Amino acid sequence: MSDEGKTLVSERLETGKALTLEVQQEMLQLLAESVKEYAITILDPLGHITTWTPAAVRLKGYHPEEIIGQHFSVFYTQEDVAHGKCEHELEVATREGRLEDEGWRVRKDGTRFWASVVITALRDPHGNLRGFGKVTRDLTDRKQAEERLRLQAQEILEMATVPLVQVWDGIILVPLIGMLDSARTQQLMERLLQRLTDTGSPVALIDITGVPTIDTQTAQHLLETIKAVRYVGADVVLTGVRPAIAQTLVHLGIDVSGVATRSSLTAGLRVALRMMNLEITAGNGDA
Amino acid sequence: MTLQECGEIEINVEHDIAIARRAVRDIAAELGFGVTETARIVTAASELGRNVHKYAGGGVMRWRALNKNERNGLELSFEDHGPGIADVDEAMREGHTTGGGLGMGLPGAKRLMDEMEINSAPGTGTTVIVRKWRR
Amino acid sequence: MHSPKRPEGIAETITVTKVREVLLVTMPSDPDDPTICALQEKTLEAMDQHTVTGLVLDLTRVEILDSYFARTVAETAQMVELMGGETIIAGMRPAVAITATELGVSLGRTRTALNVDRALDMVGRARHPKPRRRA
Ligand SMILES: Nc1ncnc2c1ncn2[C@@H]1O[C@H](COP(=O)(O)OP(=O)(O)OP(=O)(O)O)[C@@H](O)[C@H]1O
Ligand SMILES: [Mg+2]
Repeated sequence: MSDEGKTLVSERLETGKALTLEVQQEMLQLLAESVKEYAITILDPLGHITTWTPAAVRLKGYHPEEIIGQHFSVFYTQEDVAHGKCEHELEVATREGRLEDEGWRVRKDGTRFWASVVITALRDPHGNLRGFGKVTRDLTDRKQAEERLRLQAQEILEMATVPLVQVWDGIILVPLIGMLDSARTQQLMERLLQRLTDTGSPVALIDITGVPTIDTQTAQHLLETIKAVRYVGADVVLTGVRPAIAQTLVHLGIDVSGVATRSSLTAGLRVALRMMNLEITAGNGDA
Repeated sequence: MTLQECGEIEINVEHDIAIARRAVRDIAAELGFGVTETARIVTAASELGRNVHKYAGGGVMRWRALNKNERNGLELSFEDHGPGIADVDEAMREGHTTGGGLGMGLPGAKRLMDEMEINSAPGTGTTVIVRKWRR
Repeated sequence: MHSPKRPEGIAETITVTKVREVLLVTMPSDPDDPTICALQEKTLEAMDQHTVTGLVLDLTRVEILDSYFARTVAETAQMVELMGGETIIAGMRPAVAITATELGVSLGRTRTALNVDRALDMVGRARHPKPRRRA
């Protein structure tokens, strides 16, 4: 932006008169050049770049002399180009006057950024299409923040479903809540086994008080988990086995022989401590 | 990515099963699969590679990096010109074996992977394709 | 000379050591079929040569356990038992344990330990000693 241009516009503005077309053009050019967050580009009706602003240089890395005259598809990923996305966008903008899109775009150096794009059809007073105005904004930071939030939310959710609690040196408590499907089981196994080996804990206390009913699938996944825990060299004590659950296990023909099971968590903890060769004495209020 | 997108490894002698396994482990790790996912893929490859060696006397394992709808994955294809499998459903059944094994190779590999396809006809050979997608 | 990622010669061998009354057998990270096959022979031979109460099979370095490997381990444990000793599997990694479970392998009644240290303590003793009776 030139200082000369600034004075020119401000002088004219002070007069308070209607602006001439020439000044309007100048002002638009100034606006395009001074806006930093938005890369404003003008395309001809076929999609070739005719105007390129400093913000566009910053965002996409091309200098005016190397980009003016090029087709705007250079900003799109190969996949998008192959799918005819550029033509489609101009078509929609022509038909509806305007098109908004968000997606990955490519800089000169090949790196990608997450762009918000608005393409507007530019028509003369007679309605003839003269080209397109294209405003692009870099939303990579927002996209990444969203992605981080999504991951965090997922982590919290996963933690909330199956917390792993070190209740005693050598004992990890797993209060299961809800049913077990295969995705949840895979996750639980991975975390539980890692925790057992990391902390050198020889006992996993799996409490199923929070499991409403046991179907064959949940039972199967439970057995799988117990088997995997044993393979890494730890043992399972299953607690919270209510009468209804005991009945179901037997009716389903699920074999839990060899697994220490108890109805209450307290009784289970006692078994676990005994497994680790600790005896609960009368004075020990923790048990 | 520095990694090439596809490749193949011949399975002729017993030791080739281990070579294929190592290649699969390195490729899976390079594609960003976690430790447990990698162990699943490598174990499936070991089962299928051993079948190729044991029942067809040899063949080839082809691998290919996948990318579909912004998802990455790995495809392994085990191809041989051995006797083929007459009844694929039967071969997939847990415990079915003609080779004195435990009959867990094929059903086990299916459990460990996301997708599995078997193309086989007696006399023409067998192709087993498995795929795993990154989560 | 440019060396490959893992020094094959060293990584591939099984080591058998006698620690007091126990045989400690350590498996390499990714043994090929002939190496797995040698596990049985080496172990039984060592059992025959030394007076030991049992055997600790150290899987700390093992990265995958497929059906063939698992079957060999289970069989070896059975044979050791017939020769009057007990086998304890030590140090199986989480990823290996999960994969082996999903594949569907069975290690029979073989006892396991979190690591070699604990396994050495366990040999010849019940896993969880009965608590002392309170007076
Ligand atoms: N590539 C192949 N060519 C011909 N037959 C095959 C092939 N792969 C598998 N089969 C047949 O399918 C059966 C089942 O294979 P699967 O791998 O499930 O079990 P297995 O090899 O017999 O035992 P395991 O894998 O448990 O040691 C085999 O016994 C064999 O008859
Ligand atoms: Mg097999």
